[in-house]
Amino acid sequence: MDYPHADPFGAHPLEQCPVSSDRNVYDSVLDLLPSEDNPSPMVRLGRANPWRETFPLYAKLEWQNPFGSVKDRAAWALLRKLEEADELSADRGVVAPTSGSTGLRLAAIAAARGYPMKSVVPNKVPLEKKVLLKMLGAELEVVNDNLCPSPGMGEGSIGLAKTFAKAQRNKWVMPNQYENEENTLAHVRTTGPELWRQTEGKVTHVFLRLGTCGTVSGLSRALKERNPEIKIVAATPTEGHDVPGLRSRSELGVSKLFDERQADEIIEIDHELAYERALELMRTEGLLAGPSSGLIFEAARIVAERQSAAESPDVPYFGVMIFCDNAFKYVSSFIKHRPELAENTTA
Amino acid sequence: MSEYAHPETLVTTDWVAEHLNDPKIKLIEVDVDTKAYDAGHIPGAVGFNWQTQLQDQTTRDIVSKDDFEALVGGAGVSPGDTVVLYGDNHNWFAAYAFWLFKLYGHEDVRLINGGRSKWLDEDDKELTQEVSSVTPTAYTAKPADLALRARLQDVLKIVESGGVNLVDVRSPDEFTGKVIAPPGMTETAQRGGHVPGAVSVPWAKAVAEDGTFKSADELRGLYLDAAGVAEAKPTVAYCRIGERSSHTWFVLKYLLGIDNVRNYDGSWTEYGSVVGVPIETGEPARAVR
Repeated sequence: MDYPHADPFGAHPLEQCPVSSDRNVYDSVLDLLPSEDNPSPMVRLGRANPWRETFPLYAKLEWQNPFGSVKDRAAWALLRKLEEADELSADRGVVAPTSGSTGLRLAAIAAARGYPMKSVVPNKVPLEKKVLLKMLGAELEVVNDNLCPSPGMGEGSIGLAKTFAKAQRNKWVMPNQYENEENTLAHVRTTGPELWRQTEGKVTHVFLRLGTCGTVSGLSRALKERNPEIKIVAATPTEGHDVPGLRSRSELGVSKLFDERQADEIIEIDHELAYERALELMRTEGLLAGPSSGLIFEAARIVAERQSAAESPDVPYFGVMIFCDNAFKYVSSFIKHRPELAENTTA
Repeated sequence: MSEYAHPETLVTTDWVAEHLNDPKIKLIEVDVDTKAYDAGHIPGAVGFNWQTQLQDQTTRDIVSKDDFEALVGGAGVSPGDTVVLYGDNHNWFAAYAFWLFKLYGHEDVRLINGGRSKWLDEDDKELTQEVSSVTPTAYTAKPADLALRARLQDVLKIVESGGVNLVDVRSPDEFTGKVIAPPGMTETAQRGGHVPGAVSVPWAKAVAEDGTFKSADELRGLYLDAAGVAEAKPTVAYCRIGERSSHTWFVLKYLLGIDNVRNYDGSWTEYGSVVGVPIETGEPARAVR
């Protein structure tokens, strides 16, 4: 297949309205996926950044991707890999353990392609995400994970997804997003080159969060190859957090993609601040930031303040924050952490 | 390098694969969430549900002798069989079942080293959804061996008089009292903290990254040297609901060979809720982190 976005079941572009990215007319939602030529947008922070004169910060808005998250990239790469290996059909679908974000994108892409999808999610995943998975046609298996923190070992949802893939080989195949190299390569191929081109190579700091760690490993690889001086700063929530999709230090062992050396600095942040900073981004910048973006913003603030107080650098600072997804799916999490948001909402 | 005290109580996944058709070997998967068993299990294994089948459903207690006999007989097990247990959550619930089988006097009980997740990760091991065919037996258990079990009054005596190693196997935050239970758990207690005098050795310290047990030397270093568990004294292990402590109980009794080890199955959900009993909070004097 020359054109990877083409419908494998044979639909043709409509002649009446020729596809043209210049006019934003596309043949498939998959054509909207980000790439070096179609990067997710970057927006400079204004009032929210008190150090904007010395340490400008830009937010790369991954929620502008067609399925609304940084995970669009990994999901597409994982599914393409399975397609290339001829693993998928209308009868044999994808089973994936997920905290929601990758699963949603896999479900959307599987729906666009016509493959069945089964998602195994931990119970703590917000209701919105669970229901969205079902809305996209995925079967849902909910696992009571988190019985006890068990550093370095697989969670129940990973085990159950593996079980389906093993016991029902003819029905399901599992793209293991926690181990699969494609997760990293998606960022080596797209996010890294995009960011480099968008900043004209001037980026000095990248701020991101640690989840399955594909972003940190892929961006670190892609950017350090271009300029080894670029600092990768990872934000991680404190233990016992409930910031969906993120991992604290002790939870990181689950991801085989993670290698501490990929980040120049890991900043542990009180998870309550994730919500506070996200609200600040909404109220001072109009950015509909989800809690993980709040966490990343706090890490960026810490570094911007510290570096602004230090001696002037040889090269001007240029920070880019990878904002993974927006606030819409996390309204109930916001209410839990800031109960006053729900006050006076009825007549 | 020293050996485990009772190496016969552990079997490898390869050993299990070679004995799948042995009629004297009875495989039992013990899960807290039996979705896993239903989605796929080792060929021939029957599934036990820890919540509904290994505890009394009315009184908070272990399953009664009668119910245990009915359950085990229903799984086609005879007293002379080799029972091989494995399960989800790194064998915690399988270890609890191991403790129950021993408590009710079953001679030959073994754990699959690495449990369900190790079997899953090995490409040459099969899983099936096929219902295992079982011929029920009239299983007769022995009277419960209460020397394997610690009750609240035993623990209170220990707090008062000492002389017993108390091993708290929960996470550091549960031990210090920062949290009462891991997030999202329904079984909690009224207070956070630990039993006075307990040492903290989180259960996961006993296993390698693939879930198999660490070597005898490493385990001795961990429990005897670092945590100061004295072999000559009786030992009681506890956690929140008695399943993680079964895992540590197994390590202390069968891998290290400490003779007098009891599992306090009431654990923190009982101790941390009782009116008027002393508790401690904060960092332990000796901790293995």
